[in-house]
Amino acid sequence: MQAFEHPDVIIQALAERNYVADEELATALFLLLKLQKPLLLEGPPGVGKTETALVLSELLDTELIRLQCYEGLDVNAAVYEWNYQKQLLSIKLQEGSDRSIQEKEKHIFNHDYLLKRPLLQSITAETKSPVLLIDELDRSDEEFEAYLLELLSAFQVSIPEMGTLKATHKPYVVLTSNRTRELSDALKRRCLYHWIDYPDLAKEMAIVKKRLPDIEPQLLEQVVAFVQKFRLLKLSKMPGVSETIDWAESLMALGYREVNDRAFEQTLGSILKSAEDIRQVRSEGIGAFS
Amino acid sequence: MKKQAFETKSITESIVAFSQFARSHGLNVGIQETQDALQSVSGALLTNAALFKNALKTIFCASPEDRRLFDRLFVLFWETNPTDLVVRKNKTTVQGAVEKKANPSIVMLGRGKTDEDAEAGKNVSGANETERLKTTDFSKIGEIDADPLETIARKLFKEMAVRLRRRRKETRRNGPINLRRTIRRSLSYGGEPIDLFRKAHRPKKQRLIVLLDVSGSMDKYSFYLLRFVCALREHFRQLEAFVFSTSLIRISKLLQPNRLELVLTTISRQADNWSGGTKIGACLETFAEQYGKQTLNGSPIVLILSDGLDTGDPNLVGEALFKIQKRAKKVIWLNPLKGMKGYEPLAGGMQAALPWIDVFQSAHNLESLLELENILSDA
Ligand SMILES: Nc1ncnc2c1ncn2[C@@H]1O[C@H](COP(=O)(O)OP(=O)(O)OP(=O)(O)O)[C@@H](O)[C@H]1O
Ligand SMILES: [Mg+2]
Repeated sequence: MQAFEHPDVIIQALAERNYVADEELATALFLLLKLQKPLLLEGPPGVGKTETALVLSELLDTELIRLQCYEGLDVNAAVYEWNYQKQLLSIKLQEGSDRSIQEKEKHIFNHDYLLKRPLLQSITAETKSPVLLIDELDRSDEEFEAYLLELLSAFQVSIPEMGTLKATHKPYVVLTSNRTRELSDALKRRCLYHWIDYPDLAKEMAIVKKRLPDIEPQLLEQVVAFVQKFRLLKLSKMPGVSETIDWAESLMALGYREVNDRAFEQTLGSILKSAEDIRQVRSEGIGAFS
Repeated sequence: MKKQAFETKSITESIVAFSQFARSHGLNVGIQETQDALQSVSGALLTNAALFKNALKTIFCASPEDRRLFDRLFVLFWETNPTDLVVRKNKTTVQGAVEKKANPSIVMLGRGKTDEDAEAGKNVSGANETERLKTTDFSKIGEIDADPLETIARKLFKEMAVRLRRRRKETRRNGPINLRRTIRRSLSYGGEPIDLFRKAHRPKKQRLIVLLDVSGSMDKYSFYLLRFVCALREHFRQLEAFVFSTSLIRISKLLQPNRLELVLTTISRQADNWSGGTKIGACLETFAEQYGKQTLNGSPIVLILSDGLDTGDPNLVGEALFKIQKRAKKVIWLNPLKGMKGYEPLAGGMQAALPWIDVFQSAHNLESLLELENILSDA
């Protein structure tokens, strides 16, 4: 692994992988590597939280293991599950053998019958520390958060039938949340914290340019300026960076070199995602934003 | 304690002092964070002021609010020199101690009881007495009845919370099959899953948002209602609570049974224009705009406790409530006036609200509050 002795080195390395990071985020990643502490990223949708973890794994040239959270996510889906079909088959096959029930039991509750889910995978990596992305943690419920707390402190998992499995290589952990609910203080205290906000004009232009290198400078500037103004409105769904990229892409695909009245009318749907918002922006007209 | 960086002698000492400074001003900075800070600020981070600040910020903060506070504290500690620093004596901070001079009428209502009083008061009143108090309108409670009523209220609310919680747990029987246990057992039947084990149903987390009117007209009721909200919190761990009169205040974090007093004084301190009318519409609007994104997810139940007497624009009440209702599972409005004989919801605000309310009930005495148990348990 390349050594990252300065946040600037990280900014540079991320830029090479098409990710635009500011100094604050780079410092947070720098500390994640240095202190080996999990990093909690919060912020509105579409500002590059998930992408941070993806690009970090590229940077470290290591595996990315992703756990997508949802309401009702439980240990069986997040940590491990027994392969019941395989177990049943094995029991059938052993029928008539003279093994004792204890022996049979020991046999079917073994590594070969274990289905590793993301969290278990992340602590049993064979060669080097992976990046573990726990995405949208605010969607899971509190019980799961409590479980996670244990994992993040000890990096071990205990399986009643097998005993405790300890991490061979401690994963680099990135957690993300849209803040639809507050995470517990206990969890937050285990983590470094960074808030990613909507980018300012310059940063957003840099991002779009990275993703769409062929974009005309004038179109780039216009598109981003529009989006920045949209974000000042009371919209029901704020456009994230991904929407900005989508919009610029559609405009390019349609052959527009600038955002004129027609372009505006025709493509508004790729930047605004709710009918209500489109109506609101339409009624104010393009003039209100240029 | 060293108050500012210039008073310290080494960077280690400064960082330790800054940690203490940050903690005393409301950031959750403990030994672990201090150690992390000491460990991380070496090399590059020491030579560049911006990086140094970012690093400490990443370690010390846990929310956008923290980050804003941090920025201020950082300037105060590291970048301000003694001559231009305004010394503010005894300035209590963030959630710090309560100022003494709070609205007298509210403090009176608080009366500062502890749980021991509840124990002591256990056999104050017999069954008949309890019944009578349960049905007495809160606004008609005289000095003599106030104490026993509080005791009873505390007890009944507690029981209600326990029952609500228990009801959610009693659902083994028809839950999904617990494959692990079933397979284990099937070993002795040659793999036939003869005994099925089941998991308990995962109770779905129901979230509750409470909006309590603490304006002048609600004065007599506010205290009991607040206690009631505290009891609800025992059941709904994800409860979010707000109080409003002319402006809206979020009190979710303050809401702990033994800190009711603090809540009451905080409210009365912060609610400017205590008796300056009630802006229900504007407050509901603020709620929807400012907190809607964060709290109205996953269709929560929204409980509004208010008499609907509004001095703002009644249309606003309807509009705001419409927005809220769209995203809520249920909107429940409990109105103390509804217990009055002959009351009709004619007040402008209340009228405008009716179309967007799923349950409209009274909240004038203990009995009516306890009714809510039924509404909530099958919600
Ligand atoms: N700083 C950035 N540099 C490069 N691309 C970015 C940046 N920020 C956002 N993007 C682009 O925006 C898209 C959306 O980002 P991402 O999915 O990571 O957002 P998110 O914050 O995880 O959103 P959500 O909260 O909705 O999950 C990415 O695919 C990426 O193309
Ligand atoms: Mg994401």
